[in-house]
Amino acid sequence: MAYPIETSADRGAMVTAWRRQGVGYCATADLSAAGLQRAADEADHWAAIAERCGVFEGVDLHALLDTRSLPDAASPIVEALPDRAVLLAMLREESDAMHPDPRIVSWSARLAVTQRQQWLYVDGQLRARQSSQFVEPNLDVTAADGGLSQTRSLAGQYNGFCQQGGLEVIRASGLVGGGARIAREALELLGAPDCPSGPRDLLLMPDQMMLQIHESIGHPLELDRILGDERNFAGGSFVDLDMFGRYQYGSPLLDVSFDPDIEHELAAYRCDDDGEAARKVWLIRGGILQRPLGGGLSRARAQARGVALDGTANARAVGWHRAPIDRMANLNIEPGHTSLADMIASVERGVLMRTNVSWSIDDARNKFQFGCEFGQLIEGGKLTTVVRNPGYRGVSATFWRSLAAVGDAASVEVLGTPFCGKGEPGQVIRVGHASPACLFRGIDVFGGEG
Amino acid sequence: MRARFDELGQAIETGCAPGEFACATIEAERSEFVRINGARWRQAGRVERAVARIRLVQGDRQAIHQLTLPGLEPGVGDLTGAVHESLAALRQVLADSGPDPLLDVNRDPVQSDDRDLHEGGLVFDRAAFVQTVTDAAGPADLVGFCAAGPLARGFCSSSGSRQWYQRERLSFDWSIHLPVDATGGDRKAVKASWSGPAFNADDLSRAIADSRRDAQVMARPVMRLAPGDYRALLSPRALADLIEMLSWGGFSARAHHAGQSPLGWLRSGKSTLSPMLSMAEDLDAGLAPGFQADGYPRARRTALIDRGRFADWLVSPRTAREYQLTGNAAGEGEMPETLRVQPGSMKASDALSALGTGLSISNLWYLNFSDRPSARVTGMTRFACLWVDQGEPVAPVEAMRFDDSLYRLLGDQLEALGDTAVLMPAGDTYDARATGGIETPGALLGAVRFAL
Repeated sequence: MAYPIETSADRGAMVTAWRRQGVGYCATADLSAAGLQRAADEADHWAAIAERCGVFEGVDLHALLDTRSLPDAASPIVEALPDRAVLLAMLREESDAMHPDPRIVSWSARLAVTQRQQWLYVDGQLRARQSSQFVEPNLDVTAADGGLSQTRSLAGQYNGFCQQGGLEVIRASGLVGGGARIAREALELLGAPDCPSGPRDLLLMPDQMMLQIHESIGHPLELDRILGDERNFAGGSFVDLDMFGRYQYGSPLLDVSFDPDIEHELAAYRCDDDGEAARKVWLIRGGILQRPLGGGLSRARAQARGVALDGTANARAVGWHRAPIDRMANLNIEPGHTSLADMIASVERGVLMRTNVSWSIDDARNKFQFGCEFGQLIEGGKLTTVVRNPGYRGVSATFWRSLAAVGDAASVEVLGTPFCGKGEPGQVIRVGHASPACLFRGIDVFGGEG
Repeated sequence: MRARFDELGQAIETGCAPGEFACATIEAERSEFVRINGARWRQAGRVERAVARIRLVQGDRQAIHQLTLPGLEPGVGDLTGAVHESLAALRQVLADSGPDPLLDVNRDPVQSDDRDLHEGGLVFDRAAFVQTVTDAAGPADLVGFCAAGPLARGFCSSSGSRQWYQRERLSFDWSIHLPVDATGGDRKAVKASWSGPAFNADDLSRAIADSRRDAQVMARPVMRLAPGDYRALLSPRALADLIEMLSWGGFSARAHHAGQSPLGWLRSGKSTLSPMLSMAEDLDAGLAPGFQADGYPRARRTALIDRGRFADWLVSPRTAREYQLTGNAAGEGEMPETLRVQPGSMKASDALSALGTGLSISNLWYLNFSDRPSARVTGMTRFACLWVDQGEPVAPVEAMRFDDSLYRLLGDQLEALGDTAVLMPAGDTYDARATGGIETPGALLGAVRFAL
């Protein structure tokens, strides 16, 4: 059954007033000169209050502003998207392939395309102009029988495969032909045994690794969390300011980058929403923590506390109606040197898990429990039984130290999600995560209730 | 805002061609947002935004366009032109659209106007708010968030429907944090909130003072418990955190039919909940509009669980058509907007002694299903989680992860419900300030399974 087609147009401006030690903002969709002036007055009113009692003591906010123009930036579009009718036919074909069996009780095929134009003016000067096209396809199917159900999706029920670009994104996503595949897998899972419980080696595929990176590396490294801004909502971090440059975050195999230069990854950009130019940097190198995910404003606040840190250009807002805060962007695990086949062969007793379905982690981003759509036992170096409801739990501070092998470039997938939530007021933003498959030793795994 | 809504309605009517039907929902707010860290202002500003979701119907086809209105005030920008352009674009979309056999929209000219009593709007005195919070926090490490100002929802149609809901609301939600323990690295805090139609300095000062007092017990050294089963006393907020998981498809007729409901086993009789547990979707709390996006007036009250048994589900017009069910004008997501849990008989003054020895939990955090069909949920304790020994709070407990089935927790492990239910307006601000909320009492549980 086709749902009605939805389109959307959202236009507005966020005006930020920067006093030397206070910031205020006002978001308006009234883009007339009078409307923008009124917004500027409102923003300055708040900035004046914040200057008296804000968190910016010892920070020269004006020093953060840069009016020099950056080159225009745009998403790389290899192949233009076809007409809407062609895209609809593509979705319909996959939808038709997803219910080969009466035990399939629901299925859907979806595609969202967003085009964004963004201008950043600083003191009346055009600092940056960026245009982006985000392509977000997905398929999901649920099989149910006897009170049990299993859902399988393209790369996660919350859009794990999305990139910037054109038709090539849809091709790369596996959407074409994916409907029949995930329907088969949902039925297979329905008849599969539950994942066993206990310590086992754990081989995570990229569409689960993205969640693992996101929750237990990305969020704890956000500098605004470390500075305490999120303690009332999203939470703090087990990472402290004094850990950078020395803390053993993971095994020596762990290399993590902030990489805005992978242009088709979902959160690639030329500069962040405070106007800082973005470039690739290392967050973790050889397992050692290097720098936080911290924009210029957060770094200046850390500096005012006596801690000088290198950071990242990651002050980002979800749209014109929200103010920028420290966010992940393209946060990636760099490939290693082990093939997927060799990783499987090295496991005597383990589980391969793919595609995130459930996630929960404490407010310091330490104790986590994650679940996947699909599991398969590894026994004696070989993939064997498919298992349903696979999950695992651990502690960030020790989990990454159990990293035993990092997949080579052939196992890397460039993924992302449009649904990273954080901030007060709330913001749900796009993030990109590229990762190879990774092998962890001795992890506590479990299954469902049966 | 109401005047802007009337303009939208007019534009919908004048833009509709013969043989067409059009309607729109609107979400509008003028919000002052303040973020506070360490009792200092981190981020403060205003957001003015109104978003219309315009639907055009031609025969059995429909398409939808979402449009941000060019300002909140009447006469600002060319709203009529923007709406007419949207309708023209939708006609193009309809050319690519097939019939929608599940199309169902209310074409009756329903009129309603549900506003609170502050007709002229309330002025948020920013300077007074700043002073009150700063003074009340004193040296405490207060981290908080304030959202203030009017918010509105509306539905209008080319056949003359005008349904309107508007509230003035100030919500301040904060936590008081103790210094990080230099040796153990423990982070300890308590959470509180205050809401009303407008800022009230005296009430807010008292509430902040109360939370500072509550934080004192957290100064004691942290206990670390081994994984296992523990008795637990849940605050109303903590029980609400559990109950809200049932809203993830538990009451949705569509989710039940799609095999994605955590209450499928309750409905089929495979599992049961405690006979102490009754809950209903109840709009009389006034926290949510009395209409939904298809323009149908909502049922004022729908019993969802009655003494532990599945009573009814929420059925949107679309679901009703798809599965040939009797609809009850639920929203598209078929989630309760104001869920009210019937209180029990446990007096607050008796709660700790009834617990005896176990955990007193103020907040749960980051809940998710670990196995949806069995309603198995995992999540963390957060903020004030205290070890209680023979009815006396002894020490804060390090954050713990539970992993347990709601059929157990709210079934044979539910020993008592508090005798007073607390109404908690929704505080979500993703994309827009939320309407709705939940009302629950506290609960005493015989055992909760902690896994980490």
